[in-house]
Amino acid sequence: MPQEAPIPRFGHKPQVAFFDFACCEGCQLSVLQLEEKLLEILGHVDVVTWREAMTETSSEYDIAFCEGSITTEEDIERIRAIRKQAEVLVTLGSCASGGCHNELKNQWSMDEVLGVVYGDDAGGISTIPSRPISAVVDVDYQTFGCPVSLPEFVTVVSCMLTGQHYEPPNQPVCVECKLNDYVCVYEKGEVCLGPVTRCGCNAICTSFGHACQGCRGLMDSANLPAMLKALTREEAHSIMRMVVERHSLTEDEIAAKLRIYNNWPELRMEEAQPDDD
Amino acid sequence: MAAELLMTPYAMDRFMGRLIAEGPVMGPRDRRVQPGFVKFEWLSSADELVLEYTTTTIPPKKAFFPPRQPLFEFELSEPPTITAVQEATPFTLVGVHPCDLAGLSMLDDAYAREPAEACWPAARARARVIGVDCLPDEYCFCFAMNTCNSREGADLFLTPIARGYLVEVLTEAGEEMLRLSDVEDAEDEDRSQAQAFRRDKGNRLSASIDASPEEFAEILETQELGELWREIAGRCYSCGSCNTTCPTCFCFDINDEFDLGLTGGQRVRTWDSCQLQEFALVAGGHNFRRIRWQRVRHRWHRKFLYLYRTFGRPYCTGCGRCSRACTADINIVDVSNEVIARARGRV
Repeated sequence: MPQEAPIPRFGHKPQVAFFDFACCEGCQLSVLQLEEKLLEILGHVDVVTWREAMTETSSEYDIAFCEGSITTEEDIERIRAIRKQAEVLVTLGSCASGGCHNELKNQWSMDEVLGVVYGDDAGGISTIPSRPISAVVDVDYQTFGCPVSLPEFVTVVSCMLTGQHYEPPNQPVCVECKLNDYVCVYEKGEVCLGPVTRCGCNAICTSFGHACQGCRGLMDSANLPAMLKALTREEAHSIMRMVVERHSLTEDEIAAKLRIYNNWPELRMEEAQPDDD
Repeated sequence: MAAELLMTPYAMDRFMGRLIAEGPVMGPRDRRVQPGFVKFEWLSSADELVLEYTTTTIPPKKAFFPPRQPLFEFELSEPPTITAVQEATPFTLVGVHPCDLAGLSMLDDAYAREPAEACWPAARARARVIGVDCLPDEYCFCFAMNTCNSREGADLFLTPIARGYLVEVLTEAGEEMLRLSDVEDAEDEDRSQAQAFRRDKGNRLSASIDASPEEFAEILETQELGELWREIAGRCYSCGSCNTTCPTCFCFDINDEFDLGLTGGQRVRTWDSCQLQEFALVAGGHNFRRIRWQRVRHRWHRKFLYLYRTFGRPYCTGCGRCSRACTADINIVDVSNEVIARARGRV
């Protein structure tokens, strides 16, 4: 429950601000859904800026939670200013930490993108290839998910306030899915991106029987060529044969599925070197 | 020979109802979110029990070694306090297939080896086990692993027959349990039906490993098969599902988790997997199985060489869960036979 002891790292009750860049602000909203846990967190910190939750703002803060991707030159200046003010910068969700949908536009030239979106009115509008916040400034803690995975958010908050390091898990969703004893989506004939996607969401989608869409981004050593082989393999045993025959995906279609959340940096679909993991 | 009795479906239902009234019972149950897929779960009534099922995603070892298990709670008070999380309630585990009985017995041996692990035997001592015979699917190869008729650690064992179940009474605890049941004497016809069931099961088990456990271990020990392991690794996600669904895997990781009060928390152990990239990462940043093919090879060496040499049998029950769970379609029987074929092709 709320307690007044100062957080050792800051020596006082730290002030927290939330900021948004190119995104839907769904991560800010998701944090509000923590409800009782949020009240516990508010026992340790004072929130001074949070557009989705309060009217007041402040330019004084110790901790910045930043959601969204960097997509303009102005964004770069703004995130640098936030970095300068904040002692701790936490990226919130996949747009800020990994890439997410915003980076779909990176497949085209910026002129083409402007033309498609704004047509003849594109003049005077500038845009740059979308990138995560960590590509522009140093980041202290990263959380992933679309929207942000709340179990990970809580873990990061507790690590941050107790001065501990947090390393995002470098394991696939399959681990959490199995530890929860969920049915594998492939056993039901569906295609799931769990085997290449960074866990930390506690397999929330497969808990409802849905396939992982890969919203937390690829884990570091995701074997993408393996996914091409698995989903096109003709001589498979019955479970995977059912998946292959039912969907008959082409390599381009598999790549398109992966691109929804992963376009920064460019996907590595070619064969990995044997010793290069 | 153990005593053999007959339990009709009606008597089975009443027996399970009484067991559940007496204390916690874990058994195979249909899933609410995904019907048609059975999992081991605590049962609240006898009609939830599904005794005829092919397999489960994760094995019944979870009754004794939960995937996520709090070991103790800590409070950073002055002085700090530690409170062990200990379960003491006896329970019954129902519906365990022969291969999984063998798996539980393998973990008994593995955890008893010095330095012995304490949680597993304590949980095992709290439980009574009722096994049940089953019919295999294409992924099963228990016949090849010599576990298809295992009764290890079971107090009672059930075989489906026309009149219900033939009940083998294997221990005193099993006999004691039967005071809750209405069993009848089995007749010769019941016994011959149970034998026919086992014959049918054996006939359906076509998958097998093409070498004896000893020859297979020797091949793994003496042959450099780097090229094959690299081929398999090219298809492997390193997702760890072969480990997290395995009835004989016993590795775990331990982490401290703070509560949001920030003054205390829990030490929790979770199942780990040697296929994950960070499994062999040690202090100083060295990873002695950083490369994927080394981890793939390690899995075969572990199951069929190291643990075979240590405990006298391959640490594989033939349940086929790893092959079923592999979304890269890496099949343990296929790979094992490819290892054997390539090694023999060289000689």
